[in-house]
Amino acid sequence: MRQIEPRRNYLGVGGWVWAGNYKLERYLYILHRVTGLGILFFLLLHLIMTTVFRIQGQDIWEATMKILHNPLFKIGEYLVVVAFIYHALNGLRLILQELGFLMGRPTPPIYPYKDSLRKKRPWTMAMIAIIVILALVFFYDFIQGGW
Amino acid sequence: MRNTYLWFVQLITGVLIAVLLGIHMVMQHLDAILSFFGFNINDPTSWQSMVERSREIIWAGIYIALLAVVLYHALNGLRNVILELAPSAQTERIITWVIIAFGILVFIGASYVPIALLSV
Repeated sequence: MRQIEPRRNYLGVGGWVWAGNYKLERYLYILHRVTGLGILFFLLLHLIMTTVFRIQGQDIWEATMKILHNPLFKIGEYLVVVAFIYHALNGLRLILQELGFLMGRPTPPIYPYKDSLRKKRPWTMAMIAIIVILALVFFYDFIQGGW
Repeated sequence: MRNTYLWFVQLITGVLIAVLLGIHMVMQHLDAILSFFGFNINDPTSWQSMVERSREIIWAGIYIALLAVVLYHALNGLRNVILELAPSAQTERIITWVIIAFGILVFIGASYVPIALLSV
């Protein structure tokens, strides 16, 4: 019997970033991962803030909020919002595609072949447009709030 | 087969989080635009409004449920990222149990606070 070699396609940490001839969807995939890890990091900070600092009473909480109102944290907050918008909308796209939507009916493989990517790509572009619009709307509100 | 179920729960929790945290983001960050359309939200991070919320049992329930859903989605996602390095079966088991232990610790530590604050 033929021996299956384990780890034959092993790319290591480098495989997270580069694994071949990349198109748009693969970059969206990398960005999905980066935003996911970023939100996980924020979640831990957020939990520390709303539990450890919250339970110590009003003075500590208001001192914490004063630190968080400085412009550096405001920029970080905006980045978290954009990361959330991206991760949510790209995630919804991935779920819809995994369940078979947005890619047209399957066709028999007769030449000339039809690539399902042609059906998916306009939806992907629409998703990117919605993300940009929402990011701008939230940016307007961040400026309006006086940083 | 087990990872298939984990992935399916990942999809369901993803949709739940998109809706719930979407509401959270709009309430926290779109107050200027919401007040333009006539919805006035008092600053939800002020001490007064937080004390009012933390006395209600429904808010404690919402916080703890959201914590469980978000922690599952986040830590399962982290596990998927790490397992892409194709570790051996033994390392995979260690990673899985470390992540489960971390998740349970964070869940217990963070859900203690809304419960403790109910009686303050």
